[in-house]
Amino acid sequence: MAKPFKSTRRGITGALEPGEARLLGALLDDVVSMLEPETAPSEDPLAALVGMSDADAAATAPDDSAVHRLLPDAVRGDDDEALAFRRLTERSLREQKIGALRGSALLIESNPMTLNHDQARLLAQALNDVRLVLADRLSIESEEDAERLHEIADSKDVENVESYLALVYNFITWLQESLVQALLKASKLQR
Amino acid sequence: MTVGFATGTDTQEAVRTAGNTDLDQPWVVVVWNDPVNLMSYVSYVFQNYFGYSEAKARSLMLEVHEEGRSAVASGTREKVEQDTVALHSYGLWATFEKAGSE
Repeated sequence: MAKPFKSTRRGITGALEPGEARLLGALLDDVVSMLEPETAPSEDPLAALVGMSDADAAATAPDDSAVHRLLPDAVRGDDDEALAFRRLTERSLREQKIGALRGSALLIESNPMTLNHDQARLLAQALNDVRLVLADRLSIESEEDAERLHEIADSKDVENVESYLALVYNFITWLQESLVQALLKASKLQR
Repeated sequence: MTVGFATGTDTQEAVRTAGNTDLDQPWVVVVWNDPVNLMSYVSYVFQNYFGYSEAKARSLMLEVHEEGRSAVASGTREKVEQDTVALHSYGLWATFEKAGSE
C-alpha cells in the first residue's frame, strides 16, 4: 500500500507501490487522450500563431459528460454566451490540463517522490481530474452516491467492474487527500 | 463536496466570517457544490489561487458545501473570466455572472 504524502523539510514526500504507480500512470494517460484536441491547429498562419484552429471557432460543448465536467460551461443559463466563451478559452484549458497530467505521470515514476510545492500542486490538480472522470463513469451525482462507494475499500469487496472502479476511485481520493493535507501543512509553515 | 477519509478534518468547527465578497464590484465568480471535489482541496485552491487566509478559504468552502454555491471573488468582467478559467484548471465547477443576478 502507498505511503501517505508528508510535508518534510526537504519537500513533500510520498511513495507508491509499483502496481499503484502503473495504474495511476495509465489513468493519467487515459485522461490526456480524452482531452487531446481532435483537430490540428488552423492553416491560417495568424490563427495558428495564437493557437486557434478552425475547429475552435466551431467548438461545441463536449458530448462526453466526463469531458464536459473537465471543461465546464463558464456561464450558466446562457448557452450562446457559454459557447462563445468556450471558443476563446477551451483550447488553452485543455493544454493546461494535459500539461499537468503529463507532468504528473513523470513525477510518479520516481519512488519515493520528493516534490516541491509547484510539483505537488500539479499532481493534486491531475489527481482531481482523474477523480472527476472516474466519478462520472461511476455516476456519482450526489453526496449519498459518494458515501455509498466509500465502503468499497478492499480488493475483497470487488465483485464487478463497477466495484473495481470504486476501489480505484477511493484509492485516488485517499491519495489526493493526503497530498492536499501535506500541501496545506507546508503552506501554513511558510506563513 | 466530499470529505477525504484518509485523515481527519475538523471542518465542523469553522466560524463563518461576514462580508466575504465585495459586492460593489460588477462581476462575481461563483463556485458550485459537487460531490467529488474534496473539502480540503477546495480550501487549498481558495488559499493558493486567491491568496485567502485559511479562515476565509474555509468559510467560503463551507458556504459552497452548505448553500450549493458561493460567490468567491469579484471584479471586472476580464478578471472574473480569468479566475473562472483558472478554477476550471483546478477542476472546480465555477461560473461567472453579474453581481446580484442571483
